[in-house]
Amino acid sequence: MDSTYAKRTVGRILAMAGKEVLHIRRDVRTLYLALAMPVLLLVLFGFGISFDVDHLDLAVVDQDRTALSRELVRQVTASEEFVLAWEGTSPEEAIRELRRGHAVAVMVLPHGFSEDVARGAGQVQLLMDGADGNTATQALAKAQALVDVAGRRFAGATLPAPPLEVRVRTLFNPNGRSALFLVPGLAAYLLAIVAVLITALTVAREWERGSMEQLFATPVGRLEIVVGKLLPYLGIGLLQVLLVLTVGAWLFDVPVRGSLVALGLGALLFLVGMLGQGLLISVITRNQVVATQVATMSSMLPSMLLSGFIFPIENLPPPLRVISLLIPARHFVTTLRGVLLRGNGLDVLWPQLVALTLFAALMLTLATRRFQRRLD
Amino acid sequence: MSTAPEMDISLEQVRRSFGATRALRGVSLAVGRGEVYGLVGPDGAGKTTAIRLMAGLLRPDEGRVRMLGEDPAHPRTRVREGLGLVPQRNTLYGDLSVDENLHFFARLFGLSREDFTARRERLLDITRLGRFTGRRADALSGGMYKKLALACALLHRPRVLLLDEPTNGVDPVSRRELWELLYTLVHEGMTLVVSTPYMDEAARCHRVGLLYAGELIAEGGPRELARQHGVAASNFEAVFLALVERHTGGRAA
Repeated sequence: MDSTYAKRTVGRILAMAGKEVLHIRRDVRTLYLALAMPVLLLVLFGFGISFDVDHLDLAVVDQDRTALSRELVRQVTASEEFVLAWEGTSPEEAIRELRRGHAVAVMVLPHGFSEDVARGAGQVQLLMDGADGNTATQALAKAQALVDVAGRRFAGATLPAPPLEVRVRTLFNPNGRSALFLVPGLAAYLLAIVAVLITALTVAREWERGSMEQLFATPVGRLEIVVGKLLPYLGIGLLQVLLVLTVGAWLFDVPVRGSLVALGLGALLFLVGMLGQGLLISVITRNQVVATQVATMSSMLPSMLLSGFIFPIENLPPPLRVISLLIPARHFVTTLRGVLLRGNGLDVLWPQLVALTLFAALMLTLATRRFQRRLD
Repeated sequence: MSTAPEMDISLEQVRRSFGATRALRGVSLAVGRGEVYGLVGPDGAGKTTAIRLMAGLLRPDEGRVRMLGEDPAHPRTRVREGLGLVPQRNTLYGDLSVDENLHFFARLFGLSREDFTARRERLLDITRLGRFTGRRADALSGGMYKKLALACALLHRPRVLLLDEPTNGVDPVSRRELWELLYTLVHEGMTLVVSTPYMDEAARCHRVGLLYAGELIAEGGPRELARQHGVAASNFEAVFLALVERHTGGRAA
C-alpha cells in the first residue's frame, strides 16, 4: 500500500467519522441513548435488583411456650434476616399464612422442646415456601445457621467441641452484597444493548434515507465506511464504560482492584464486537424498525441469560454452557468481575480477551463481507 | 449508433430484473466523450436502473456495462474518481449544512484544502448557493437542493456526470437555470447522461435514447427523430408517442 493510498484511506475514514460526529451532535436523542440511558438504568437496576435475602417474614408455631422456646424465637428474629410476622400454636394456621404469602418460612417448636434440648435431643422444624426456590434455599441456610448458634448457646460448655469445623470466609465480596456482584454484569448488559442498538440504527438510517447510494458513487470503500462509522460510537462506548464504572464506584462502592490495562482492553474489544454486531444487523436488515428489533433481541437476551450476569454459568444445562462461550457478554462480565472484584490482570484474563478479540474480528469480517458496495 | 470517436459509456445487450419485474430488456447504447445524452421515458421505463448500472451501483443480469473503459461494478474499479452522480432521490445529509455536505464529499474525493477552497467558491458561484452555505440541506427548496447535489457531484471535476431526473419536482425557473449550468459543464468537456420524463428536455440533448418498458425503442438526435416523424423538435412528446405506438402496435397509445 503506497503512502498516497494510505493517506486517502485515512482521510476518507476520518471524513466518515467527522460526518457521524456532526449527526450525533445534532441528534440529542442519540447522545441520550448512548450516555444517559446506561447510567439511568444502572442506577435503577442497581438499587432495584437485589439478591440479598433479609427481613424475611417468619411464622412461628410455639407449642412448647417455655422460656427456652421464647428465647430461641427471640434469637432468631433478633437478626435482620427474619421478622416475626405471625405467632401461634397451630401448624395448619401457620401453613395457611405461608399459602397467603404472609410468611416465607414457618418455624415449629414442638411440645417438650425445652426438655428435649436439656437431654441434648432438641428438634426444630422449618417449613419453607419452595415457590421461590432461590429465597427458600437462602432462608433455609440462614435459619439453620441461626438455630445452630442458638442451640450451642443453650448447651453452653456442656457439649464438646465438634471434631471438624468449617470456617467460611467469603473473599472479594465478604458481605455478599448483590450490588458488587450485579454492577459489573449490569454494565456489560447495558453496554451490549446500547452499542448494538445505536450502530444498527445509524447504518440502517443511511440505507433508508438513500444516502448510501450517494456514498457508493464516491471512491469511499466499504471498510472505510464501516470503520469511519464505528469510530465515533467506539469513543462514546468507552465514555459509557467510564461513566458506568464511575457511577458504580460512587453509588455502589464497586472497587477497581485489578489491572486497568485488562479492563481497558476488555472494554475496547467488547465494544468493537458489539458495534460490529450492530453493523452486521443493519447491513442485513437495511431497515431501522427491523434493525431495532433484531438488535434488541440479539443483544439483550444472551447478555442477560447466558453471560453469568444473573444466572451462574455453572448452573446452565451443558448445551447452553457451550453456547454461552459464543456470547461476548459472558467474557466481558468475567473480565469486569475479575478486574473489579478479584484484582485480576492480563495473566488471568487473557482467555477472555482472546475470545472477545475473536468475536470482534468475526463480526467485522462478516459485516464487511456482507456490506456489498451496490444497491442490489 | 454513435458517431463519436471515443466512448465514455457503453451498454451492450444489458438485461436487469428485480424479481418478476424486467427493468431493462437487452438495452445497448453508447455515449461519446463530451456528449449530452438524454435517457427519455415515462416512469417505470428503466431510466434509473440504466443510470445505476452505469454508476456501478447495480450489476447487470446479462450483458456488459463499461464506464471510462472499466466495469463500474468491479470492487476495485477506479471509475468513481472520474464519475459524478446526482441520484433521483434526495440523498444528501439533510441535517448537515450546505457547506458541511460540500466539505464531506470533498474529503471523500480526496481534495486538498486549497483545491476544495477553489472548487467550493466556483461551484457556489455557478449554483448561486453562496448565500445559503450555513443552511441545512433539508431546509433548501427543491431547486436549491438539486443544485447542491450537483455541486457535491462536481467537486472532483468528474469526466462523466450522471443525472437521474435532476429537474423532477423543480420549478420552471430553476429547471432553466439547471440546464444552463449543465451546458456550462459540457463546454468544459464533461460527458453528461441525463434521465428525464419531460419530453421537452429531450430537445436540449445532443442525442436521446427513448426508453419504454425496459426497451430502447429509438435513439438519435432530437431534430433527426423529430424530422423522421414530421414534427417540430420542440414537440418531442409527439415523437415519443408516435414511437411508442409503433413499438406496441397501438396497444399503449
